[in-house]
Amino acid sequence: MQNSKRERRKHKFSALIRALFIPFLFAAVLSLISAANGKAMIPNRSAFHNFVIYTAIVMLTTMALSINLNSGRFDFSLGAMALFSSLIAAKLTYAVLGGGPGSAVMIFVLSLAAGACLGLISGLIYVLLRIPPIITSLGVTLIYEGAIYTITGGRYVMEEVQNASMAAFSAHAVYALIIIAAVLGLMIYLFNYTVFGFNYRALKEGQKVAVHTGIKEIPNALACYAISGGLMGMVGFMNAARNTNINGGNLNFSSVGIMFTAFLPMFIGSYIGRFINTEIGFFLAALCMSMLNSCFAAFSNQINASAQAIINALLLLLFLIYLSNENLLRNVLQNTAGKRKAADHD
Amino acid sequence: MSRKENTIRKSYRRRKILSRFMPLLALLLLFLSFLLAVEKKGYRTDLYLKIIFNETAVLAVVATGAIFIFTLGSFDISLGAATLFSATLGILTYMESQSVFLMIFVIFISGILCSLTSSLLASFFRIPAFVTTVAMMSVLTAVSTQIITSRGGALGGISIPSGLLKPLDTPYFKLLLMALYIGIAVFIFNFTKIGRRQKFIGANPLCAKLTGIRASRYTIIAFAMAGLGVGLGAFLTLIYTPSVTSGTAGSIGMNIIVAIVFGGMPISGGADSKIYAALIGGFSYTLLNNTLKILIEGNAGYGISQMVSALFFLLLVFITSMNYRSEQLPR
Repeated sequence: MQNSKRERRKHKFSALIRALFIPFLFAAVLSLISAANGKAMIPNRSAFHNFVIYTAIVMLTTMALSINLNSGRFDFSLGAMALFSSLIAAKLTYAVLGGGPGSAVMIFVLSLAAGACLGLISGLIYVLLRIPPIITSLGVTLIYEGAIYTITGGRYVMEEVQNASMAAFSAHAVYALIIIAAVLGLMIYLFNYTVFGFNYRALKEGQKVAVHTGIKEIPNALACYAISGGLMGMVGFMNAARNTNINGGNLNFSSVGIMFTAFLPMFIGSYIGRFINTEIGFFLAALCMSMLNSCFAAFSNQINASAQAIINALLLLLFLIYLSNENLLRNVLQNTAGKRKAADHD
Repeated sequence: MSRKENTIRKSYRRRKILSRFMPLLALLLLFLSFLLAVEKKGYRTDLYLKIIFNETAVLAVVATGAIFIFTLGSFDISLGAATLFSATLGILTYMESQSVFLMIFVIFISGILCSLTSSLLASFFRIPAFVTTVAMMSVLTAVSTQIITSRGGALGGISIPSGLLKPLDTPYFKLLLMALYIGIAVFIFNFTKIGRRQKFIGANPLCAKLTGIRASRYTIIAFAMAGLGVGLGAFLTLIYTPSVTSGTAGSIGMNIIVAIVFGGMPISGGADSKIYAALIGGFSYTLLNNTLKILIEGNAGYGISQMVSALFFLLLVFITSMNYRSEQLPR
């Protein structure tokens, strides 16, 4: 009994070490690179606030992407949902408060609600039409982008989001930290300790069997879309606060780029999630991406946007090559070690 | 056979015929609507037809190549970026060598190499093809942007002399190129074992593997055909506009998917794949967008026309996919 407890504790400790390995590796390598060039990865308080907000944005986008993608539902409309929900929230809030105190809270709440509604609409279209989700999401992206363009006339929305309340949000990391903690807690609870979460996992692993055992797929899918939309609503709010504008001129799929930025953290997060918990994995992966982003900011004179995109894409490829050939690599290493042992023995 | 069975069979056959001819019917209807809209507004029909043709030519050619990839049940989102990259390299080659032949050679070779790199990465390292193409899209766009901004400035882009390819900017020459490429694609797809086996792999990869078909070989052929389409697309782009900016061919990557689905091909590929789907879908989508832009004037018209065309797209896919309905939600 004592032994098994010790074993379990040892196993948990080993899993924790393995889960923290990638974030520590990122921190060590990026700090070393920065220090070697006489720079700091996070040089001041403002950079720290930016770091936390970016972590929140990446974590939420990654979660929103993975909820549906893990179930084989590809969603191109995430970016359009973020923009549209923040636009609706900003316009409504400005009409009520005129940019006065409490604007940020109201935009946040409305953006979350609007995002959830937009996600639900997207889910309803998918469920009603019963066409592959990738196609539905193409149509939904075009509809949302078109609606944003029609409302804004293709212009940037600035007056509605440029006020003291919104500025205070992006100037203090504490709000983003609260969002990270709340969302993380809620997502862990929702996907690991509720009937919805159990059904979600059953449908993810074996759709046909799960449906035949009586799990209701449609409500589960609709809930997934609504949660994903809600998360993107929060992303839209944070992007509006960070950029001090909402781009209303996105047409012809120009909003899909936001989704592709979440691919690398999603794969890293899923890998870390093997040792600890998928949601915490996404958080740690977002932390890694934020460190990388801070490092890019520190080297902005040397590394331009194109170079950053290339580095991110290469990292994605390298990580996927490792993930896809992990067993092969392990076998090669084991064989080499075995051969060395045998040679030593001889 | 009972009467009920007979009715079900008849209804199934009717739906199958409807879904087969629906894209063609939609194209005809859209073409008529377009002509009516141009007539109503008093615009020049010949001029608008030329615009439609030029807008669709690149999309249809690249999407026809992409059908080989989609048939396998695979996915390539980097084809728009590859078109930009090929055109950029072509211009760069001309700037350095002043040779048109070398420029055309580089355009086609880079198009094929871009596409093959994705497939080789995917098959050699066993990475999901779609994610490889996402990474390739980022790399190709970033490299092209870097070249364009460093050589021509962020706004201006880079260009070849405007008169260089101007003699080729005729509908007949472009039609000839398109017909040649699409003819080869149709022949390979419909009349050789390559096409048949690609459909087999797309429909049931395990079964195809068990019958001795090597999927990697047909994947490489599919990506090579798509690369050829990319090269031709880049060449047609330069014939139409002799300059390239970082936004050139930007939306092609996603529009390919819309065009293929619009043309009546299932996104999952397999036995029901149709090589002409790209051509029909490409023209339908461009006609729809342009008709709506003509009818809905003003700045907000762009947004409204995009919404209406998206609704039409979803409706058309809904009708054409009536035969593929399953008990569970599709994935």
